[in-house]
Amino acid sequence: MKQIIIVFVFLGPLFSNGIYFTRSGFVSFFSTTPIEDIKAKNNQVTCVLDTETGKTSFRIPIRGFVFPNGLMQEHFNENYLESEKYPNALFNGSINNWKEIAITNQPQEVSISGEMTIHGVTNFIKETGVIYKNNNKVNGNATFRIQLEDYDVKIPKILIKNIAESVEIKMNLELKKK
Amino acid sequence: MIELIFIIFFGSSICVSQEDLFSYIDDIETPSLAVQGTFKATRIVNAQSVEMARKNTLEFIIFHRFGSMRNGFYDLYGLDEASVRFDLSYGINEKFSLGFGRSSFMKTYDLFYKIKLLSQKSKKRFSLASVVLFSKVEIAMINKNEKFNNRLVYDAQLLIARKINQSISIQIMPTVIHKNSIQWHEIYNRLYSMGIGGRAKVTKRVSLNVDTFFPLGERVGSYNQSWGFGCDIETGGHVFQLLLTNAQGTYESSYIEKSRGGSDMFFGFNITRSFSI
Repeated sequence: MKQIIIVFVFLGPLFSNGIYFTRSGFVSFFSTTPIEDIKAKNNQVTCVLDTETGKTSFRIPIRGFVFPNGLMQEHFNENYLESEKYPNALFNGSINNWKEIAITNQPQEVSISGEMTIHGVTNFIKETGVIYKNNNKVNGNATFRIQLEDYDVKIPKILIKNIAESVEIKMNLELKKK
Repeated sequence: MIELIFIIFFGSSICVSQEDLFSYIDDIETPSLAVQGTFKATRIVNAQSVEMARKNTLEFIIFHRFGSMRNGFYDLYGLDEASVRFDLSYGINEKFSLGFGRSSFMKTYDLFYKIKLLSQKSKKRFSLASVVLFSKVEIAMINKNEKFNNRLVYDAQLLIARKINQSISIQIMPTVIHKNSIQWHEIYNRLYSMGIGGRAKVTKRVSLNVDTFFPLGERVGSYNQSWGFGCDIETGGHVFQLLLTNAQGTYESSYIEKSRGGSDMFFGFNITRSFSI
């Protein structure tokens, strides 16, 4: 009997179905200076949320960013983010106070914290976003800023007026049940 | 006993997944992507590179070659003279670009295209190289009374390049040039050669480049093997290529077949600018 209980304890997480995920989440970034606006979109974000624990991770393939200008896209990969060396941006963290949050159809503000790795550099971040349910899907949106310097993304002096020191990141994720 | 086996089996799988949420869903491999940035510009030094005008992008290149350095300080190492080329090309899609150009050397107009036949892929083990077909027709307008057909020269090249690592790329270029009419001292209308070129990045935005063409088959006595040394400097929207070469012409039949010898060397530069349309 004891053994059977143990089995169920282990099986619990596996069949709990608390896992929500997407492979096609959206992220964009936007840099604006008086000289130039730079923006790119990416529809290849993988995100996983464990609704049992509130833990969440996402992974952004750097090569998935599409720029309106192909030359910028190449420079973004080759010179700034070095996507050959660091193919993904990663986040591992959790939604804070998860136990007190009930996801409803109404968007509610939550705070998320964890470790963000971009360009091989890891920083602890804490940002806010909204989360809500829609047709059995969990939706999460967030807008925040990151400092390029924090992730060791260097701007050459000659382009310092073209590229902002901090860029705005927008994420829209629709997670379905696994 | 059976239960115990279950425990071991599931227990171990759970241990892995708790470390990383991705292991819950990761079962597909990451895709293999086309290698980009084999060269910084569509030219290595003189030679065409496997890079081409990107989709919906108009690429404008100004080529400038000064005069021969032979006269030394008298004409400031050739700086008093200039041979210029304007080159416009447009990327219809990722695999096809079209362009035209006008060179002051022999007052030559040309039309050309590039087709990407193969892309080097990042993950595939046997994806060796990118292959681009380059083809061009040149119309030399230097002689006013020439028949149109006699003005024409055709070039075709297969550009085969491999980006070996982030810094080093190499390219080979089997080339055929067909001249509709030849001078009295020339023997063949059709000339074959094999080009070799490469680049090594010094920093992220600066690279050193070199290219040369080896003749295949017989050439006339005045023939010199072409060579070029260059330095690419990338500044966001522009690529500046500073170079030293023994060819003053900047289109294929001129730099491959009409290079100079001895102390006839030329300073020059190419400036590439891309416009998104």
